[in-house]
This record gives sequence, C-alpha cells and structure tokens, in this order.
Amino acid sequence: MSHSTVVTAEPKENLWIGGRSPFNVSYGKMMMWFFLLSDALTFGALLISYGTTRFFSAVWPDPNEVFKAFPFMGHASLPLLFVSLMTFILIMSSVTMVLAVHAGHYGDKKNVAKWLLWTIIGGICFLACQAWEWTHLHGEVGALWGGFTDPATPVERFAHFFNHHNAGHILATQPEVAMKATHNFFNYFFTITGFHGGHVTSGVVFNILILVNTVNGVYERRGHYEMVEKIGLYWHFVDLVWVFVFTCFYLL
Amino acid sequence: MSAHHGSDSIQHLYEGDQSKLYSGVMAHHSDINSSESKQQVKKIWKVFWILLVITLVEVMLGMYFSHAMPKALINFVFLALTVLKAGYIVSIFMHLGDEFRGFIVTVLVPLFLFVWFIIAFLADGFFWLRMNNSSPSRGDTVKEQVQHAKK
Repeated sequence: MSHSTVVTAEPKENLWIGGRSPFNVSYGKMMMWFFLLSDALTFGALLISYGTTRFFSAVWPDPNEVFKAFPFMGHASLPLLFVSLMTFILIMSSVTMVLAVHAGHYGDKKNVAKWLLWTIIGGICFLACQAWEWTHLHGEVGALWGGFTDPATPVERFAHFFNHHNAGHILATQPEVAMKATHNFFNYFFTITGFHGGHVTSGVVFNILILVNTVNGVYERRGHYEMVEKIGLYWHFVDLVWVFVFTCFYLL
Repeated sequence: MSAHHGSDSIQHLYEGDQSKLYSGVMAHHSDINSSESKQQVKKIWKVFWILLVITLVEVMLGMYFSHAMPKALINFVFLALTVLKAGYIVSIFMHLGDEFRGFIVTVLVPLFLFVWFIIAFLADGFFWLRMNNSSPSRGDTVKEQVQHAKK
C-alpha cells in the first residue's frame, strides 16, 4: 500500500504516434463533418452567386414587400412575420435535436426517442410552412422558375415587389431592368430555398430512420448512440444554413 | 450481438472502438439526472433563448429600422448577428467547442476561403454594374436623371 501523497503531473500525451484517433472522433463522425464542410461550400456558392447577381443589378425587390403575407390574414401587410415563425420552428427543432444527442450520451433510450420525435414534428412543420410560402409566391409570380421572361409583361405584374422610394424611377423609365431583377430574385429564391428544403426533407427521413432504430433498441445493443450524434450534426447544419438564407433573402 | 454479423464489422469501421473515443460532454455517461447532465441541459436552453432574442432583434431591425439607418450600417449589423448565431449553433449545438483543438482548427480553416469568395464575387458584380453603360447604376437618383434629361 503506497503512502505517497505526491501528485505527479500526467505527461503530455502525444496524440499523433498512432494507435488512436488524434482528433478523438470516429471515422464516421469526422467524415460527417467533412461532408458538411463541402455542403457549406455548395450553399456558399449559391448564396454568393445570388449576391453577385444582386450587385449586378441597379434595383432589387424589397423583402419587406415580397414576403409580407401570413396564412389566413388576407392582404394584411405583415413583413417578415411568417419567416420569423419558420425560423423559430427550425431553432426549436435544433434544440430538441441537441437534447436527443444529450440523452444519447447518457444512453437514455426513452428520452432519445422522445426528443427525436419532437425534432421530426418540428421538421415537418417547417416543411409545411415552406410549402405554404411556395404556393403563395407561385400565385403571386405565376410560376416557380422563369416567371418573368416575356418582355411584354406589364410593369404592374412586378412593380409591387419593389420599394418605390428606391426603385420608383427605374420602374418608370426602364421597367425591363426591374423585370430582369425580379426574374433573378425569384429564380434564386426557389433554387436556394428548394435546395435547403431538400436538405430538411432528407433530414426528416434520417431522423425517422434513427428513431425506428432507437425504439427497436439497435443503439442500446450497440452500446452507444453515435448515429444520433452524426444525424444531429446534419440537422444542425440545416438550421445553420437557414440562418444564412434568412439573412441573405429576408434581411439584407 | 454476434460478432459474426456482417454489418457489425462495417459499423466498427465507421464508429470504431467507442471506449477509446470522446471525453468531456461527449463521453458516455450513465445518469441523466446527475447535476452534470442538468447543467448541460440548462446550457442548451440558454443558447436557445440567445438565438431567439438575436432573431427577434433582427426582425425588429428589418421591420422598423432598416429604412431609417444607413444601408451599410444595417447590413453590417445583420451580418454580425448572423455570424454570432452561427457561432452558437456550431460551438454548442454541434459540440464543436467540446472537440479537440486540432479538430476545431481542421474544420474551421477551410471556411476562410469564403472571405476571398465573397470579396472577389461581390466586387466583380459591382464592377460590372459600373462598367455597363446600357443599365442604370444603383446610385442614380431621380434628381440626377431629371438633370440629365434637361441637358
């Protein structure tokens, strides 16, 4: 029995001599991070090309005029309110996801299942909101992509998307410039929110798959819930992209 | 579980020997009702409230103040708040802040390419607009145009 009370400082461990992961993460989790990096570059390319096109153009539709509708509120002007609701839903579903991951760290099957279920519900609510917004804008534009290609389009068809204090003059003298800007705006809007919505959809599918696995006890038998953590990374990334889409399309 | 099962070896390839991985918050714990666990849950909800308040501030600015403030200033505020939100999501929700420093650096460094992308592409768009004399430029005011017409 040792009576020594000397506390020896642990020697600094060299992480890079092999036999272990120097990053302390599994191969699968590291690859999820690197996939998300490449996906961030894809979304970045889309958003930056949106910005470039916007800088090309002398006028640009005003988000306060384009996005002012709310379900069942008729023609009331409620700018940004609906997209704020969508943002709230997505942040909320991110919280329930991180709580599922947290429960997974503790091997708590019941709580993992509960929070995954809430995350799936949040994802479906977000998609429903997006479906409503697309339907509404489809009605306003008359198409999803390529709504403003006809040079004979009367100016009243798109003038209400602009802030007349900034764009009134160009609308009056060179409506074709404003029409081109409207065309570009909606093409980018449907492409980027569509690409994001595709990510949300696949995220919901992944969440359903891991919920089924959790309930069936697959991860309990495996001894850990790393799969929940990896899908969680993907889900948070989708929320992260929305933060940037929200800024680029609705705020700037 | 039987070790002869094919999917087990594939799963091992991707998820490795978990007993050798992870430390701190991401390690395997046992008691979800421990004070450590409750503290982590409290932190998650705190970040939720921070994100919610930042979003509300953004929406209020966008609805009521975006036309009263200089465009460059309001855009700077929006972008700063966006990066702040992204930081909280990546660091707390995605647990990147709990990873080893080497891994954090590996993930974040490639993102600095965006600084170059954004400057280069926006500058290109701005330059194109300035050089294109068949299109009105963004700075054209009604007054300038009227003066131009009188000449």
